[in-house]
Amino acid sequence: MTEQLAKLNYKQLFDDAPCGYLLVAPNGEIIHANNWISTLLGYQSGGIDGKRLRDILSIAARILYETNLAPLLRLQQAVSEVTIDLKRRDGKAIPVIMSASQTYDAAGLPDTTRIAFVLAAERRLYERELVSQRDSAEEGFRQEQADGVLREQFVAILSHDLRNPVASITAATRMLAKEALSDRGKQVLGLMQGSALRMSSLIENILDFARARLGSGIGLSLHTEQSLQPLIDQVVLELRAVHPDHGILTSYEFLQPLTCDPLKIGQLVSNLLGNALTHGDETKPIRLDCQTRDGQLRLSVTNGGKPIPDAVIPTLFDPFVRGQPNSYTNGLGLGLFIAKQIATAHGGALDVSSGKDETRFTFTMPLGGPGGSVGER
Amino acid sequence: MVFAHGFGCDQAMWRFVAPHFKKNFTVVTIDHVGAGQSDLTAYDPAKYASLDGYAADIVDLCRELEIRNGIFVGHSVSAMIGALASLKAPEIFDTLIMVCPSPRYINDGEYVGGFERSDIDELLASFADNPLAWSATMAPAIMGNAERPELGQELTQSFCRTDPQIALQFARATFTSDNRADLPNVTAKTLILQCRDDIIAGENVGEYVRAHVAGSKLVLLDATGHCPNLSAPNEVTRAIMDFVETPA
Repeated sequence: MTEQLAKLNYKQLFDDAPCGYLLVAPNGEIIHANNWISTLLGYQSGGIDGKRLRDILSIAARILYETNLAPLLRLQQAVSEVTIDLKRRDGKAIPVIMSASQTYDAAGLPDTTRIAFVLAAERRLYERELVSQRDSAEEGFRQEQADGVLREQFVAILSHDLRNPVASITAATRMLAKEALSDRGKQVLGLMQGSALRMSSLIENILDFARARLGSGIGLSLHTEQSLQPLIDQVVLELRAVHPDHGILTSYEFLQPLTCDPLKIGQLVSNLLGNALTHGDETKPIRLDCQTRDGQLRLSVTNGGKPIPDAVIPTLFDPFVRGQPNSYTNGLGLGLFIAKQIATAHGGALDVSSGKDETRFTFTMPLGGPGGSVGER
Repeated sequence: MVFAHGFGCDQAMWRFVAPHFKKNFTVVTIDHVGAGQSDLTAYDPAKYASLDGYAADIVDLCRELEIRNGIFVGHSVSAMIGALASLKAPEIFDTLIMVCPSPRYINDGEYVGGFERSDIDELLASFADNPLAWSATMAPAIMGNAERPELGQELTQSFCRTDPQIALQFARATFTSDNRADLPNVTAKTLILQCRDDIIAGENVGEYVRAHVAGSKLVLLDATGHCPNLSAPNEVTRAIMDFVETPA
């Protein structure tokens, strides 16, 4: 080993090194360049010596060197892994990776700059490919996003515009109900009212869904209500008219006023009852219990029937999920999702518990409304 | 006394010069938005598409700091940014120190800026072609340096960090600028420091600036290259010191 070391010819090691090696004076003059770099750039051995560093740099590399690398060499004595282009004698760009270090003389003034180069052609091709793939993926993503927003805006506008004609149909059926009708007429009118009601609640849910997806969230218009009872009674009445055979029992205990958006709470109740009517056992009455206590509103809807499978529970409140694939549903699968959104927007929660005999959805929220303090009496 | 850095670096550029002025002046060193430690979220591509956006920042900053009759020291493109700021709000600076300034980098008829249009196009294209060259991943190599112990503490920091996207836009704003028409309007007492062998702003460009800013003084330094504030800080400090201490 020592023998081999003793035989080393350092001049030759420099000249024949398998990478480019340059020594540059403080004024930018190349003191000496090895064979690797001379050959790479199309010069005779020693043909670069005496040239300026800028003569072998591409224009971009020249500006990078003057404005960034030279300052860095002064500030931190070294730069590493810089990817730049060298300029071959015929003008062709040669991609390389460069590392450099700065030495100082005894007076502390910059002495030589040592610069090493390795070829980076393959690597540069690969980087370029990565960049172009990233660019096209980003472009695709932007396009998808724009399409998505457009679709959701379309849904929002469509459902918003559908509200008025449905409201007109509902009003018209009410007016018709006051006319003298045959038994068959009354029956058909009842079906029409049920359909109009279902349609308007579907529209409300779609509209809220689109709003939530568009980022504006479910807008609340908050009021302080002494009692929600009349509002909930109205929702129950409408649903009873459509489902006369399925009992709905209600119990209320409104002791304290509540700050909420009453229309949205009505929508939440309608969605929970609609869900119970669809999935519950028709022979067992649905129970709606509502109370204000300990600073909280607590409203639960309980139906009898088969339990919700455990596997479904985690995604139950996701949009477009239905409890049982084979069960008859007449909604979009948005009801529970919207109910949950309304609960959350009120600073509350919507939870489900499903046992052998009955399934219960429980909505709780602070009486002070969103941002209102919980536990306030 | 406000020190501003040029394209490609940050306020670290002034670390060997600015401290010498602390005794007699209140010294402010700044990073332009997009450079150094600045808040990158404040970067607005529309505002910083031209040097006016940077000049507006200087005016805002100096008004906030209640600077009046101050001294602006700008390196490279910041020399022009300072001149633009002094035109927008003449009360802020009564003295302008332009270090390696250029009112236009691209040759134009008789005017020699040093670059052809195609050179600048190639530079701008290089950002797309080789973004890593300008990327912030260019971490410093940690090397001890016995001769410069004052740098020891900061070796782990990265100087002149640049986001390639912002660097591209700053390069475009810088190298396509043409502020020749603004020079005759400068009223501040102006010193131009010019290096030898500066490929970014040649000696003829420094002479052009001197000829077009009324009453300005040009000092040709012994330093070479484009960054005398780092390569010859003592010479730069002395030249500025002499100028600001000479009565108008």
